[in-house]
Amino acid sequence: MYKKLNDLQFVIGLFFTIVSVILLLNVVLGSDAESKLNVYTGAVFLVFGLAMMLIRKGSKA
Amino acid sequence: MRLHFADYLIILVYFIFVIGVGFLIKKKIKSSNDFLTSSRSIPLWITSLAFISANLGAQEVIGMVASGAKYGIMTVHFYWVGAIFAMVFLGVFMMPFYYGSRARSVPEYLSLRFDEKTRGLNAISFAVMTVFSSGISLYALAKLMETILHWDFDISIWVSAGIVMVYTFLGGLTSAVYNEVLQFFLIVLGLSPLVIIALQNAGGWENIKVVLQPEMTHAWKYMGNADSNPMGLHFMSLIFGLGFVMSFGYWCTDFLVVQRAMIARNMGDAQRTPIIAAIPKMLMPLIVVLPGIIAIALMQPALASKGYQIPTTASGELDYTMTLPSLIAHYYPTGILGVGITALIASFMSGMAGNVTAFNSVFTFDIYQSYFVKNKSDRHYLLVGKGITVVGILISIATAYIAKSFNNINDFLQLVFGFVNGPLFATFLLGMFWKRTTGHGAFWGLVAGTAAAAVTHGVTVAEGKGGWIMPWYEIKSGMGQAFIVASVSWIFNFFTTILVSLVTKPKPDEELKGLVYSLTEKPKYHQQKWYLKVVPLGLLLLAITILLNIIFF
Repeated sequence: MYKKLNDLQFVIGLFFTIVSVILLLNVVLGSDAESKLNVYTGAVFLVFGLAMMLIRKGSKA
Repeated sequence: MRLHFADYLIILVYFIFVIGVGFLIKKKIKSSNDFLTSSRSIPLWITSLAFISANLGAQEVIGMVASGAKYGIMTVHFYWVGAIFAMVFLGVFMMPFYYGSRARSVPEYLSLRFDEKTRGLNAISFAVMTVFSSGISLYALAKLMETILHWDFDISIWVSAGIVMVYTFLGGLTSAVYNEVLQFFLIVLGLSPLVIIALQNAGGWENIKVVLQPEMTHAWKYMGNADSNPMGLHFMSLIFGLGFVMSFGYWCTDFLVVQRAMIARNMGDAQRTPIIAAIPKMLMPLIVVLPGIIAIALMQPALASKGYQIPTTASGELDYTMTLPSLIAHYYPTGILGVGITALIASFMSGMAGNVTAFNSVFTFDIYQSYFVKNKSDRHYLLVGKGITVVGILISIATAYIAKSFNNINDFLQLVFGFVNGPLFATFLLGMFWKRTTGHGAFWGLVAGTAAAAVTHGVTVAEGKGGWIMPWYEIKSGMGQAFIVASVSWIFNFFTTILVSLVTKPKPDEELKGLVYSLTEKPKYHQQKWYLKVVPLGLLLLAITILLNIIFF
């Protein structure tokens, strides 16, 4: 895990995954249950975050 | 605008990540080159996104949304006229000299090509500009947070400056560049939902074209007469002033952006950096210009039912700089609101960190090592680089407080920056493409260009500014005045450099190899796949840019 944190692509993916979880939890826990914008944005961030973390490319940092 | 727990949590996660990146990079920093130049080890996708992100500071994001609201689609000229062509030129023609000369900075290239006095003039003016720009960015952040969130001004200043200091002090340029990439994604993905939802709310682009005056939705059609368009500019002023002088002066010579290409792993990647960066740059108006146009459309009577208003100043005029924050407040609920605010904070911090890392490189290599303490150990320069990072942040904080007390200092500094930057591209153009150009010519050309800029500003008046020598000529807009000042300074620099060069002794050809076009072996592209070759790639981008200008004519 620590080694992966040296990979910027993984770090960016992790950041957006965490933010997506916050957005989706915010909807699920009911403080803003009607917000479709949070759901859609959270879903897009989650897909983007997981893709950045899981898709390996030749150019890593 | 009130933030809730989820919003604060997102801001906190962002702060943890940017500081965490600093700690992760710290163990890789072994030398002054690691700290100040990333030892030319950064992959292409990172240098390209950092290249564009270094220019994606708050003044850019908030300023372009404001311009979108004020001037309409003409604001895209800052991208499709004032950026793409210069970025392609930098990649194809200029990077071989910057990268191939092994210079660590733009002023160091000037030292190799010309002499120490030209380097000194450029290094000192650049160092002063960057550190004050960083301070203005900090002031703008604190002021915005105070206005929209009622955060304490002092806490905003010290917390944001402290975070930038931690990650730039720990990881130097690499840390700043990595965070710039994170900030790029945050700004783009954080503001995209706003554009989509606001555009939908305004009835789409076709409806916006119906409710707005036609000059707000046509980029070129009304530029034949300066009085017919909201910028008050004739198309020739725009093409020469912005499209040539200011654009090439900034994108091709400003070390803040050029530095991001100079840290690439090899010459091919260094050349491709600005060209790859031009792709998102071309699309950036969707994120930073379109929201402004949507905002002004939402204020038209036909869309008044949407309930959106751009805030007004105390004197009752529209406060365009509040366009983006007010759109975020209007459309974003808790959660995504935290993302939007974090994107704003990221843009401020990105601008500040970019300036500070460019400042510490130029100060350490081009001022301290060149003029004060030569031939010391590498560790000595590493420590100086780290120390000057802290000093740069402290000067930025001081500048932010000065800006708070004397609001006009922002205008004054921007003005001085314009005087210094305007003529610079002439020096590089002649230096790289005319081997007869001498160090004396370059130096006196820069002095003459800067003086010409000051005098031109002193005899022209626009929107109540300028004319401090004699209000001789009135210009409709401040932007038009800036273009004219830059153009005059470029012309004075260009001809002064030529004249002085013709009467002074040039360097021998042997000393100019790798520094001047006619004496440098041209990069060979034939082994590469077509999409890796900078010339076809650049031509393709230029064709798309021209097409975009035609579509939105």
